[in-house]
Amino acid sequence: MNILVTLKQVANPDISPSHIQLDPAGKRIVSPFGIPPVMNGYDANALEEALRLREKHGGKVTALGLGDDTSRESLKCAIAMGADTAILINDPDLLNADSAGVGRALAAAIRKIDDFDLILCGRQASDTDGGQVLHWIAETLDLPAVSPIVRIEAVDGRHLTVHRLIEDGYQRLRVELPALLGVSSEINEPRFPTMRGTMAAGRAMIPGWKASDLGLQPFTPKVELRQLQIQLRTSKADLIEGNSAAEQGAALANKLHDLGLI
Amino acid sequence: MAGVLVFGDTVGGELTPVSLEVATAGAGLADALGESLLGALIGDDLAVATREFRGGFSSLYLVEDKHYRPYTAQAYLNAAQKVIEACSPSVVLFAHTLGTREWVPRLAAHLDTGLVMDCTVLAAEGKDLVVTKPVYGGGILGEFVVRGGPRMATVRSAVFDPSSAAVATEVVRLDVPVPAPGRVTFVDEATVAAAGGLKLKDAKIIVSGGRGLGGKDNWHFIEETAAALGAAVGCSRPVVDSGWVPSSHQVGLSGTCVTPDLYIAVGISGAVQHLAGISAAKTVIAINMDREADIFTRANYGVVGDFREVLPAFVERIKQLRS
Repeated sequence: MNILVTLKQVANPDISPSHIQLDPAGKRIVSPFGIPPVMNGYDANALEEALRLREKHGGKVTALGLGDDTSRESLKCAIAMGADTAILINDPDLLNADSAGVGRALAAAIRKIDDFDLILCGRQASDTDGGQVLHWIAETLDLPAVSPIVRIEAVDGRHLTVHRLIEDGYQRLRVELPALLGVSSEINEPRFPTMRGTMAAGRAMIPGWKASDLGLQPFTPKVELRQLQIQLRTSKADLIEGNSAAEQGAALANKLHDLGLI
Repeated sequence: MAGVLVFGDTVGGELTPVSLEVATAGAGLADALGESLLGALIGDDLAVATREFRGGFSSLYLVEDKHYRPYTAQAYLNAAQKVIEACSPSVVLFAHTLGTREWVPRLAAHLDTGLVMDCTVLAAEGKDLVVTKPVYGGGILGEFVVRGGPRMATVRSAVFDPSSAAVATEVVRLDVPVPAPGRVTFVDEATVAAAGGLKLKDAKIIVSGGRGLGGKDNWHFIEETAAALGAAVGCSRPVVDSGWVPSSHQVGLSGTCVTPDLYIAVGISGAVQHLAGISAAKTVIAINMDREADIFTRANYGVVGDFREVLPAFVERIKQLRS
């Protein structure tokens, strides 16, 4: 089974909002100095699942990213984890594209690669929390898409049986290949790069494709980001005091009782 | 194209509370745009939901068939498209749920139109739809202009007040042919009950523990406090990762987003993803040794102290107050 995994490089989601920075236009999140960006967490889960499927069923795993030159790092990391090849779409004209623009560019690249049974994507990216790109890819390629997936239970010929998250459990669905799945973090724990993989990543050539290589027409965005605004958090908590921790505990109970909360 | 169309959300034929909140958001936009407000429901057995879907809609569109239970993206997508064709709205709003997160982006792509999901503010500027949504796990707010026809948005729960306007005066039933079986077919559904009985999602009081508890051996402090309050038990992600409790207890963006009246966070540092999951909690109490922990930026009341002494005294006093 040949699998394509889409990878987005994002600012490390563990950076506290008080340390995160925006570019001068207030439109992009910039990683602070010394804290390198990382592979989007859900995308890492998608890659891990692809590698596990390859281990069981053979085939190859291709990582596909869209971003600036620094995004090669995430793609190299994907190779270090075990991906066979990686491709980067890096065209300045696409860096500020909306979900529709990014989805169509990825779909065009997937068409150009033209050798896949399954596309695995993270359910959403941790920087924009958008969750749309995978569906624009699926629509453009006319593929069935299911998300968020917490388990791939079985592979049987040209069908997968998957578990899709619902409010209080999951539904089992049978999906015909080729298909696209949006992967959630419950599905697995991504592996670390191996030494051998890291050496392979060092040697790997990652081609950079432009919009013109993909035959993409100029597009008008459907959604325009006006500005980002960091939510600076300051403590506004009323502190419950007391001469001992036990006194504080009792005082807290009194407070909640007075407020009618318990 | 004119009109603001609001899709209600139903589970097993029952209208979910967020539906009435989306109706409020829609009414505000319809007012600002000077357009009519329309409602729509897709599902099976919608008689009760139809009577409960308040919003002051001039018309309520119904697509009702047993085919819509259980939910599958393709069926909802198809039905919603027919509703939109029938009324040509300029704006379409949906509740932000696990279902809409799957089928609404596909609908936007299919209609080749603009969509922003998980919005907390919606405004009309002239004919433009301008929305705000939390990004980066809630640490940053993004403001977007949505274009296309119709312009679409999903609305986060527990942001808008529920509508108490009248039910629709006119109900329009749409006969949507059931599409041929697609490439995704439903097999079955399993409910994973939250251990410890009470469901996090609907809980009015939640007592939640984090890494600051120091170890699984101290988890009983959380359970005893929850039991005294009749509360559900929650936790932060590191607790799940360390295997102290199952992931069904996890509160946060990658776990359950909760809406309690009272949320007590014990030994939780307050990662952005966790704070996003409790953004709709009415009152948050933080109990933590570290005064600088981010959880105090969200908490209404805080106790800086050792939970091993704070919680037993707290529970003792609760029992006195209740007896």
